[in-house]
Amino acid sequence: MDEKNSLTDIEQEVELTPAKKAPVVAPAHKAIKKKSTITKLVLIGVAMVIGMIFAFVPMRFGLTLYHPFLSKEAISLGLDLQGGVYAVYQATNTDTDNFDSKMEGTRSALQTLLANKGYTEATIVREGTDRIRVEVPDVNDPSGILEIIGEPTSIKFVLDSTGETVITGDNVVDATAYYDPSNGYVVRLQLDSAGRKKFGEATSNNIGSTMSIYLGSSTTPISSPTINSAITDGNAIITGFSSREEAEERANQIMSGTFDVALELRESQTISPTLGEDAMLYGLIAGIVGFVLVIAFLCAVYRLLGVAASLALIIYLIIYLFFLAVLPWVQLTLPGIAGILLSIGMAVDANIIIFERIKDEYRGGKSIMAAYHAGFKKALFAILDSNVTTVIACVLLILLGTGSVSGFAITLLVGVLISLFTALVVSRLLVKYFINLNSYNAKLYNLKRSKQYENLDADATDAVVMAMMQREQDEKDQMKEEKLQNKERNKAARRSKKNEGGETA
Amino acid sequence: MKFKDKISNLLDKDFHIAEKRKIIFIIPIAILVVAAVMMIIFRFTLGTALNLGTDFTGGYSVDIVLGNQLTDSNYQTYYSKIEDVFRSVEADNGKTYNVRISGALQRQGSGDESSIHVKYSAVNGVSENEMSKVVNPAIISALENKILNKVPTKIEFDGNVITVSYDEVINNFGKGSAFDELKTAFEELIEDYDGVSVTSIEPDGKKIVITCASEIDSATVKKLTSEIRSKMNLRDIYSGEVKGGDLVGATVSTELLFNAILAVSLALVFMLCYIGLRFQLSSGLACIIALFHDILIMFAFMAICHIEINSTFIAALITILGYSINNSIIVFDRVRENMRSVYSKKMSPEGIANKSVKETLMRSINTTITTLIMILMVAIIGVSDIKIFAFPIIIGLLSGTFSSICIAPSMWALFQRVGKKNKENFNIQPKEKKSNKKSAKPSEIGA
Repeated sequence: MDEKNSLTDIEQEVELTPAKKAPVVAPAHKAIKKKSTITKLVLIGVAMVIGMIFAFVPMRFGLTLYHPFLSKEAISLGLDLQGGVYAVYQATNTDTDNFDSKMEGTRSALQTLLANKGYTEATIVREGTDRIRVEVPDVNDPSGILEIIGEPTSIKFVLDSTGETVITGDNVVDATAYYDPSNGYVVRLQLDSAGRKKFGEATSNNIGSTMSIYLGSSTTPISSPTINSAITDGNAIITGFSSREEAEERANQIMSGTFDVALELRESQTISPTLGEDAMLYGLIAGIVGFVLVIAFLCAVYRLLGVAASLALIIYLIIYLFFLAVLPWVQLTLPGIAGILLSIGMAVDANIIIFERIKDEYRGGKSIMAAYHAGFKKALFAILDSNVTTVIACVLLILLGTGSVSGFAITLLVGVLISLFTALVVSRLLVKYFINLNSYNAKLYNLKRSKQYENLDADATDAVVMAMMQREQDEKDQMKEEKLQNKERNKAARRSKKNEGGETA
Repeated sequence: MKFKDKISNLLDKDFHIAEKRKIIFIIPIAILVVAAVMMIIFRFTLGTALNLGTDFTGGYSVDIVLGNQLTDSNYQTYYSKIEDVFRSVEADNGKTYNVRISGALQRQGSGDESSIHVKYSAVNGVSENEMSKVVNPAIISALENKILNKVPTKIEFDGNVITVSYDEVINNFGKGSAFDELKTAFEELIEDYDGVSVTSIEPDGKKIVITCASEIDSATVKKLTSEIRSKMNLRDIYSGEVKGGDLVGATVSTELLFNAILAVSLALVFMLCYIGLRFQLSSGLACIIALFHDILIMFAFMAICHIEINSTFIAALITILGYSINNSIIVFDRVRENMRSVYSKKMSPEGIANKSVKETLMRSINTTITTLIMILMVAIIGVSDIKIFAFPIIIGLLSGTFSSICIAPSMWALFQRVGKKNKENFNIQPKEKKSNKKSAKPSEIGA
């Protein structure tokens, strides 16, 4: 496979090189090329400026305010960067058996409940012996937490004829609110196997009578439906809600009422970021300063190539910010920022790998343009492989990890995919245009010849390149031939062995 | 320029890193030994080998309710005062404790219900019982005295004038104001002094100026000073309160930690499979050894510097996991390429490793510099918690560069040798054998 690739690789280069003869001064067709290149670069520049305006500048269109990608409104920030709300829940029945392990169970049940609702970055902590403190990011109103967790409430289904309690919240596995065309807004309860059995028996034995549903300690039922048929599929449905909000709130209350420990809301308030209130601002300043320094470094080391890489990096950043703002499951936290830093690092790395390859190729006697083509081709697999391994790790961390681990993996995954695109497409184009600008002045790209090719012009290498390619191809042919020979030799050896074996047998 | 020349000179020379594995491996081993020794020392002097934060161990929390007094402009003043209080807590038993605050202080609520939430870890070597019976009450009373009640900062006597200064302007608006309370307090305490008669008590910004009828003698001055200090506290008029001193559980539960480890291990297995497919199994193993090296070095430095390990450290570890594998793969990409070259037959595995390291060295250096620039900025400019986060990443970056240059390729070379002996099915093995057996052949090629 690979051998095939590198063969086509060489063919392409051979095709390319004759087009560029070896003048020291730019010929007329090059000037035309330069002109069209400049127009292309200007177009890219304009697109970049527009992108940057959308990414960083808040604007007002008539009455609607536009929030740039990089703003608190667009990117959802975690508890550590922006704060949120907290609530403290108190256990009411502390004198049950195994209270401690039940509290622990409730803690992790709350964690799952919040994670299921998309609050993977929420923290849940036990305070004292009988309290649980829940901190939820990205909510600004203390009552918002009630919409998420709800004031835990117990539920029971009672047969009106006998007064017997059929099922309670303990039998409920899941409670969801939805709109049912025939019943309006309803809450569907999914029951565990014991609940399903009990509910099935009770409904099949009491067709025609009514069953009341009570919430909390209230003595008036929220509804008393008539049992029309036996319900054995383990789905109990509560009807009679006037709005989706009401149904959702009830579903939440019932879900949080199914915990091992009965909880009661003690207090709920907004909370400032756990990293301190200036973390975001200073983090942003650090990011901008770091980014500028990296660009300065790239430009110093790789000159015009570095400028191309810097432009590609800015494009990368704009795209990245766009996705951070648009994707709903990205919530930025400190680990997430680490993921961003790492993916920026990988995006820069991809450019450095390519440039070092180009330098290598140029050192080895190729013209700048040929070195560019060969450099990109050869760097491709290194970049692909390193990025694919990272993608594999990210996918697994997203699937299996919890909380901050998956948050980190999401930002890294998004970053790696974008960096692949910018390195292999955007950088490639930009570098090509920048080389077109002046493909006979190696100093502009900080490219140097090795001693062997010291006297070679930056552009005048066709003969050498052809010779080198010929040599490389010869080497490859030789290797192939040797492989074939070896194979035959091995075959022969095996055959003779077989024969020997046959003889001795 | 000179430095550049040095690097290019270095690049012109031949590398012998893979052969020197024994010498090179001494560096990480030495670091690990130092870490182990430091951990033992810390175990006996400070009580804990690793400095695990409240995210893992749990701790205590206290809420300082300040009501309307807490505003956007003054919260930082309160923060620094609270931090001062925690730095030295004097308990009733005469001991002074240095209590470590865990994480940043948090503002809670707004308006009437504003409060500051402080999480702190148990003092090393202090039992849970002592914490709850001695240290926590001491913390609460210290907070009440120094944050909610303000002791006069200065008490001056000048003839018949006493000046009592506070660190904030004394509210003087009618009955029940701060000044009114202080005035009543002084009038009450001065009743016990028969020789002193007060002519006026006036507020003056942050000061209260008390004028007496006659000069106060030095014996009274001494007594008065201590009494003013204890009784004329500027009260928190918004009925501040210190709540808590409660035990707080760990944020990172064992379940979460187990999940993270499981996810990472599975990720490693899949990465190993991919590297095994695209490169060689031995390359994959070498990558993972380099990775474990980096993680161990990160732990070692956290142990040596006794820096608090919090949940963010997990994120730092995973970041370096990505970085380290990425770094090693770039080197192994060269190894793969060099092995395909015709010259590889003449070379030992060490030779190929050295050549590959040499060819990727500039890339390794430049990438490390750019990534370091980013993370160093975060470490220099960021707030304290982010600095703690950046430190292990910086260590991991340097360690990752070291391991991708020195450890992964030489481990790979070692595996090739082992593979050769065991006749394992490494890709390089048949080629290796040929090159050794037919030592006459290369001259044929040359001719």
